[in-house]
Amino acid sequence: MTQHIPGAVVWCLAVVTFVGLLLLIRQHRITAALRRRLRLHEAALSARDEEIRHLAETRLPALVKASRDADATPVPGRPLDAELAATPYGRSLQRIVDQLSGVGEAARLRADKSAKSTLKTTMRALQALASEQQLSISEMQGRHDDPDVLQDLLEVDHANAQFGRRAQAVAVLCGSWPGRQRAASPLLEVVRGATSRIRDYRRIEVHSRVDMDVVSRAVEPVVLAVAELLDNAARHSQPNTKVEVGIRPAHNGVSIVVDDAGIGMDAGEADEAARRLSGREDIDIHRLGDPPQFGFAVIGVLAARYGFRVSVDMQSPYGGVRAVLFLPDALLNRVRFMGPPIPVQGAEAQPASPSPSRVEAGAAADAVPRAGAGAGAVPGARAAGEAPAARAGTAAPEAAARPGPPAEPSPEVGSAAPSAAGGLPKRRRRSPVRQETDASPAPARPGSQLARPPAEAASRMGAFARGTRSGRDASTDSEGNAAQ
Amino acid sequence: MTPSRPGRDRGLVRPYVITEGRAHPTRNTVDLVTLVTAVRDRPLNSLNPEKRRVMELCGGGALSVAEVAAHLSLAVSVTKVLLSDLIDSGHLTVRPPIPKAQLPDARLLQEVLHGLRSRF
Repeated sequence: MTQHIPGAVVWCLAVVTFVGLLLLIRQHRITAALRRRLRLHEAALSARDEEIRHLAETRLPALVKASRDADATPVPGRPLDAELAATPYGRSLQRIVDQLSGVGEAARLRADKSAKSTLKTTMRALQALASEQQLSISEMQGRHDDPDVLQDLLEVDHANAQFGRRAQAVAVLCGSWPGRQRAASPLLEVVRGATSRIRDYRRIEVHSRVDMDVVSRAVEPVVLAVAELLDNAARHSQPNTKVEVGIRPAHNGVSIVVDDAGIGMDAGEADEAARRLSGREDIDIHRLGDPPQFGFAVIGVLAARYGFRVSVDMQSPYGGVRAVLFLPDALLNRVRFMGPPIPVQGAEAQPASPSPSRVEAGAAADAVPRAGAGAGAVPGARAAGEAPAARAGTAAPEAAARPGPPAEPSPEVGSAAPSAAGGLPKRRRRSPVRQETDASPAPARPGSQLARPPAEAASRMGAFARGTRSGRDASTDSEGNAAQ
Repeated sequence: MTPSRPGRDRGLVRPYVITEGRAHPTRNTVDLVTLVTAVRDRPLNSLNPEKRRVMELCGGGALSVAEVAAHLSLAVSVTKVLLSDLIDSGHLTVRPPIPKAQLPDARLLQEVLHGLRSRF
């Protein structure tokens, strides 16, 4: 019996040992699995550490830098681990980045807006003061006869004009209007007006082969844009060189070409200039450099708003930069090519003017020679001695092109005869304005005095129609511009 | 006669551009009532627009300096600079106003009148 006991013990031991072994193996497996999971988690943790360190040290600084520097769309680095990006953790990180960049952008916009509005109101006030001062200077120039006083006044006037231009430029850049509404003016006057506003106006030489008007709404912006181009040209060239301005007809517009003999621009500057001149990019006044470079940005804004084009990517024949401002036909009055259209433009600008200035019947004979002389007297480059016959020929298409004034033919009919009689004295000159305004709305049948009442009625209707038309033009224009 | 007048904007082209920065006329004999007349057949190519206007204004006869200034909408002193230039370049001739001393004495005329009345 006792012999059986060890056997049983042995069996028991064997079973216990077996079970122990099983348990040990199982435990070992469990431990290995746990170890594996621990390793995995450790790896994931260090990946997250690494990711968040990357966020703090690389992506956020890149974001800050992108919002500070000019180049728009911030691309602040990618996440390190692509797998992590798909997890909730990665998405949360991305949300942090997005929100931060949104906050930065919003703050930038807000700061830009408030800076612009402050600058705009300040500059508008300065601009108004400069205009007021210009008026008083003009009055003083008329009042004082002493050349010494005039010399001083001219200098003050010059400084004031430059001051006004600077204020105007900054105001425009901040979204303001260019300011004054001017009458339609000949291109040559527009360029000379621009010349008036820069420091080295004596170095500007203007050659014009075109005699056309810039439409009223575009005068001031074009003056400002040309002034900025001239200022650039004059400032970046030697003081003893000339800046040449050519006004040249083009296919469907006119080019104002500014050539300087300066140092030119390198490729980087040219790219930057082209970018600003395009007017497409949003101007951030904090990024214009120090000192701020307003010129091209202002031109770009004006060009985009009024529909002309400016390029500075050519070399001038004198070694410097050739800047070209292209004015499309929409901003020009082609009519000036022909006969005596000026009074018509005057009537458009001030629709009321023709009626008070109607000429008495007796003046009719007198009128004709003046019309001839008047056409020649345009301050542009038109040849002074232009034959009235040629004008008579050109006037017909003009009348056709222009719907308003019914009376275009009348001035030419008369103009051939009296120009021969030409020599008589001052009397003719005395009432020039009346003559001009009379010429355009004159009756369709020039010879008969009987035709006057209907003709007068027609011209009044014409003036009214022109007035409403120009009013409508002006209002659509302002809306269009406001929309931009 | 003044085609540029309706469209002319006085503030656009400033006087220093018109006179090229000069305020002193090259001659001081020009005053408000000096009469100027254009000399025909002078080349106008080299003249600026204001000077051309002057030549056209003065083409038909004599004009006083004040009248020219009014037609150009310029200050008289600025106009004097332009006119002096044109006189120097031979584009204009000057006719000074008739001096008082050369006008017949009013008393003399009165006496002639009385004489004539008593005679007839």
